[in-house]
Amino acid sequence: MDILLGSIVAGILLGMVIALVALGLTIIFGVMDIVNFAHGEFLMVGMYTGLLTAQATGMDPLFSLPVAAVVGFLLGVLCYVGFIKFLLRGPMVAQLLGTFGLMLFLRNLALLIFGSSDMSVHHGILVGKSFDIGMDIIVPATKLAAAGLSVIAFLVVWLLMNRTKIGKALTATALNAQAARYMGIPTERMNALAWGVGGGSVTVAGALIVNFWAVNPFMGLLFTMIAFAVVALGGFGSVPGAFFAGLVVGMIMEIPGIWDFFTFTFDIGWMADVPMTSLKYMWIYAAYFLIMVIRPRGLFGWKQ
Amino acid sequence: MEAIRDAVDFSDFPRTDLIIAWMVAVFFLVFPLFPHSSFAMATMIQFFMFALYGMGWNTIGGYGGQVDLGKAQYVGIGAYTTAVMLIRWDIPFWFSMPVGMFFAVVWSFIIGYPLFRLKGHYFAIATIATSLVLKDLFDVWSFVGAARGLEISPIEYPPPDFLRLIFKEDIYYYYIILGFFFLGIFYMNWFRKSRLGFQLRSIKDNEDVARSLGINVHLAKVKTYAIATAFVSFVGSFHACYIKNIEPVDTMSLDISILIALMAMLGGAGSLWGPIIGAGVLIPLRSYLKEWLGAAAGLVGIDLVLYSIIIMLISAVEPRGIWGIVEKVRRRKRR
Repeated sequence: MDILLGSIVAGILLGMVIALVALGLTIIFGVMDIVNFAHGEFLMVGMYTGLLTAQATGMDPLFSLPVAAVVGFLLGVLCYVGFIKFLLRGPMVAQLLGTFGLMLFLRNLALLIFGSSDMSVHHGILVGKSFDIGMDIIVPATKLAAAGLSVIAFLVVWLLMNRTKIGKALTATALNAQAARYMGIPTERMNALAWGVGGGSVTVAGALIVNFWAVNPFMGLLFTMIAFAVVALGGFGSVPGAFFAGLVVGMIMEIPGIWDFFTFTFDIGWMADVPMTSLKYMWIYAAYFLIMVIRPRGLFGWKQ
Repeated sequence: MEAIRDAVDFSDFPRTDLIIAWMVAVFFLVFPLFPHSSFAMATMIQFFMFALYGMGWNTIGGYGGQVDLGKAQYVGIGAYTTAVMLIRWDIPFWFSMPVGMFFAVVWSFIIGYPLFRLKGHYFAIATIATSLVLKDLFDVWSFVGAARGLEISPIEYPPPDFLRLIFKEDIYYYYIILGFFFLGIFYMNWFRKSRLGFQLRSIKDNEDVARSLGINVHLAKVKTYAIATAFVSFVGSFHACYIKNIEPVDTMSLDISILIALMAMLGGAGSLWGPIIGAGVLIPLRSYLKEWLGAAAGLVGIDLVLYSIIIMLISAVEPRGIWGIVEKVRRRKRR
């Protein structure tokens, strides 16, 4: 039983972080209908930022969050102003392949600078500590902190989107860019802001994830696909959708643990033979495919 | 008969195009006779393979406007069918290649049917997802060698073996893939003038109008997807015999899918010459950049950085590709 509960708790904690990862993607998509394939690479940039800031200053990685947020914001704005703006004039093919080019660019730049080996955080206040939250469920402190801070960051962005004037302007741009322009909203600047907020939130998530996940230049694609799955399930462009879908996808990522539980509890032979840990990420891709086929709008989507 | 006449009829192209095409074709035919490095030879074979992949992609992605980023799964199906049949049952290439095509087309119907309900970005990402699912499955499936992949040992089949397509010298592979390259061009030339080709172009321009004209949009897309798949799967089978060592990591990776789409787009999606031009520019560029900058100078990744800058530039500046620029220049001249 403790394996099952442990998996579920781990899934929920991971899901909260994943929700923050997907938040940036859903904001960018909602505001300007463009799919950012480089999203996972933004996360990678956040992870490297967190790691290197911690190593350079000797601070705990958790305190590098503001640095990561600033770097992400600037990266997002820079990408928009320097590149994405020009893509918007072209057809959809150009947008897809353009952001793909951005993804390859960031990935291989990281490969060039940092090499292909895994890097991870070795010391920090929380690294290596864990809590027993009762019923024999042991939770690593880093994951708990990452989940908590993710929820806070998520709430901050949600408040920004819903309770401030800038957020209203962003939402207006998302709903109808032309009408927003007539109302005097500088939509061009709103687009840049969406990329800034999107980039900032995902790099914060990266700086949180680096506490318990090794970083290498190739890990971006996995998180891009995870974020796509979350955004598809939650509905493209929906912020609350991203949160709930993040939890669901977090659980999907813990399927191997749940599978193990059933295998051992009921002692089913063929289940033990399935190489579940190797198929860990297949469920995410499959989930994306199924969601898109069954309900393209997602759970909370308002864009068709 | 009508179809063959259509396939060899290039008369709607301007004469300069045809002269250049003839010159290039003659160059391809005599290239192996001149002294060349084995690296240049391998690059040429890669070029033909990717030109064929690009032609396949061009049917659905170029003429049909449906951006497919999951072509690698069909490369994998073709390559694995050929390799498995050769290793396990000693079935030669010329028999396993149609079987691979058949499997690939069946799989394309299975996933194409629900996939084509989606449009635009959603379709593109869903094709990536299916491709990655298949790659992960092949990664653990022990029948096809799991993550280690399969190796066709040339010792067991003494070269040259025309039936199994096992040779020691690259020149045999060169002429075989060259033959298929020309066949591919003729097929594409027929395709763009066929009923399906016209239907697709009208779908690309405006799907609702196409539907109101009585075109079965969904069926046309699925059919074209199957054609594209057959192309890609054939080259996959060839890839298995040529490379002789296939792993899920390099046969079915997303990079292959992207490269295929990118080449067609760089050359000019939706035109006959587009994928060929794109492959002609990108494949040598990629090989030589890797050779000069990656391997020789020890800068891992810089070749791909330059390469991604090209992608970004082409998509931002001229999304219709090199052929788009050519047409623009022509239109300006005519004025």
